[in-house]
Amino acid sequence: MADNAKPKVGFYSFSGCEGDLLTIIHCEDELLDIFAAVDVRSFRLASSDVHNDEPLDIAFVEGSITTNHHAALIKGIRERSALVVALGACASFGGPQSARLGYDDWEKRFKKIYGDAKLTVARAFESQPIDEFIKVDCYIPGCPIDKHQFFFALTRLIKGMPVEFPSFPVCAECKWNENECLLLKGELCLGPVTAGGCNSRCPNYNLPCVGCWGPTKEANVASEINLLKERNFSETDIVNKLRLFGGAAMVRRFADLLGIEPQGPLKKVRSKKEDKHKPIVTAEVKKVAVPKGTKTKPKTKVNAKTGKKR
Amino acid sequence: MKALKLKKGDMYTYLESLKSYGELWGPVSRGDKYVYGKLDNVRDVALEALRTIIPPKKFFVPPRFNMFRYSDNKFTETFEDIKPRVLFGLHPCDIHGIMILDELFLDRFPDPYYKKRREATAIIGLSCTPDDKCMARSTNTHAVEGGFDLAFNELDEDYLVWVGSSLGDDLVRLNIDLFSEDINTGDLQKYLAWRRKRNARYKLNFDLTGMPDIMELSWDSSLWQELADRCLACGSCSMVCPTCNCYNVRDVSDLSLSSGVRERYWDSCMNMEYALVAGGHNFREARAERLKLWYTHKLKAFITEYGKPSCIGCGRCIDTCPVNINVAEVIRSLQGQEVKV
Repeated sequence: MADNAKPKVGFYSFSGCEGDLLTIIHCEDELLDIFAAVDVRSFRLASSDVHNDEPLDIAFVEGSITTNHHAALIKGIRERSALVVALGACASFGGPQSARLGYDDWEKRFKKIYGDAKLTVARAFESQPIDEFIKVDCYIPGCPIDKHQFFFALTRLIKGMPVEFPSFPVCAECKWNENECLLLKGELCLGPVTAGGCNSRCPNYNLPCVGCWGPTKEANVASEINLLKERNFSETDIVNKLRLFGGAAMVRRFADLLGIEPQGPLKKVRSKKEDKHKPIVTAEVKKVAVPKGTKTKPKTKVNAKTGKKR
Repeated sequence: MKALKLKKGDMYTYLESLKSYGELWGPVSRGDKYVYGKLDNVRDVALEALRTIIPPKKFFVPPRFNMFRYSDNKFTETFEDIKPRVLFGLHPCDIHGIMILDELFLDRFPDPYYKKRREATAIIGLSCTPDDKCMARSTNTHAVEGGFDLAFNELDEDYLVWVGSSLGDDLVRLNIDLFSEDINTGDLQKYLAWRRKRNARYKLNFDLTGMPDIMELSWDSSLWQELADRCLACGSCSMVCPTCNCYNVRDVSDLSLSSGVRERYWDSCMNMEYALVAGGHNFREARAERLKLWYTHKLKAFITEYGKPSCIGCGRCIDTCPVNINVAEVIRSLQGQEVKV
């Protein structure tokens, strides 16, 4: 009975490695708290007891959309969910499988791999992020996501508060961790144009940033490309690296810099002006219904304001 | 201020003695760079280190820490990681950086988080030999007359040791047999010669007289936009600057939803949301405006208020910015000198 008082949530996955849901199920120290905070109605990694026809307060969706079957499912999830959260790089930007978004050569590539195979289960198409099909309320980027960002977003959404992720790039956290700058050491690092929040996960292990958190709101991709060219990286290598995880975010915002005239999906690239400062988190957060008198509702309103001092 | 002498060969023994005061921290190597690290083994200390990736401000304002823990209607401040510490090997410019932070965090509105960490920390300076990125002579921060408990100055086979506070005197007494008071005019000559040699090594020499005037006259300069086109707005300059001290706070709820922490972390005026206020207005949305603010603060506003620039000439921005935007280049440009980009 108590479960009825808690927000109902579902976890879903489409095309991807399921690494984001795996990150959540691996939260062994916090798993009981997660299940105490919300009523999990669908999470196939956790339980085969799934209820996929109920209204949800929050749907967490990982993976990209690659078939008409997926497209129908994601639309169904949207219809019965108050909030939809894109979980990870694939749901948010399309993931590595969307690295060629914007080039009209999907059928050629399909043929190269599968020959003349006929698909009978569903009709496949170029991999795309979920927001090409539905409205997304909040994005939790990363490959895989960072569990602390997931907890942060989960608690904020339950409380009906905005989900504000850091606007600084990977470089900031990389400095906090006192890493040697890989860019200055001659590596193709995307730290300066990639959203932080990962605690500079890769540079901490001496690996350059691949951009899996997607571009920052203000990413100066033109300067990053110039900088890498000066360091003798080829244009192809630079563009491929930017698009590997940047997917739709790169194509929508920086098609001109990447030398792409978007074809096929994403043909209707949003005007630059409109997308200029499009926040990663666009949550028009609706208050999730939490019945009165339950423990999940904070008695005093927690001050959500973030102050800034100089 | 009293002067003593310590034989170079006794340095490690003395460093070991300092551990009876508290944790010993000093420069250690990390790849081709240096960081301030905990000296569990005193022989790990990198006496040759010139500049660390981030400055010693991390000891007094950690990059990210929890200010307090809250639950329904109360909060408890947390001072988790504060213990007596000795910071060894700070060069004069970094000590000047700490003195600037002291003015900002201890004077008018004392910051308890800074104060508690600062009071638990002893500071031991160490002389250095500048490289081509050092410009402390231009900012007059190449020598220290205060702001330290002890300061070591290399002098042939010895260190000249300046005692700068009563705590410094106590630190000497942790192993007083290692120190000699036998200082003669020969030492003075050696010290003066060492100073001449060090001063001659500065490659970056600027006359910063009247910098606020020059900044004011450059308000509409096209320089800011030119720099902004290149600037990645990554904020690295602020993170490595010994005097950048802006921070942001946010509340992070526990999964229980009824308790949580208020987190405080380094911010940068290069961050796009720096001047974003409630209602969505951003006072400095343009990158050029934010860059101008950064340099106005270092070379104009701070001088007007405190009589000195808030750049201490450590060269970290020169060493760090991937697109070569730094204090030296901005000063050169503003003063009408040729700039190599």
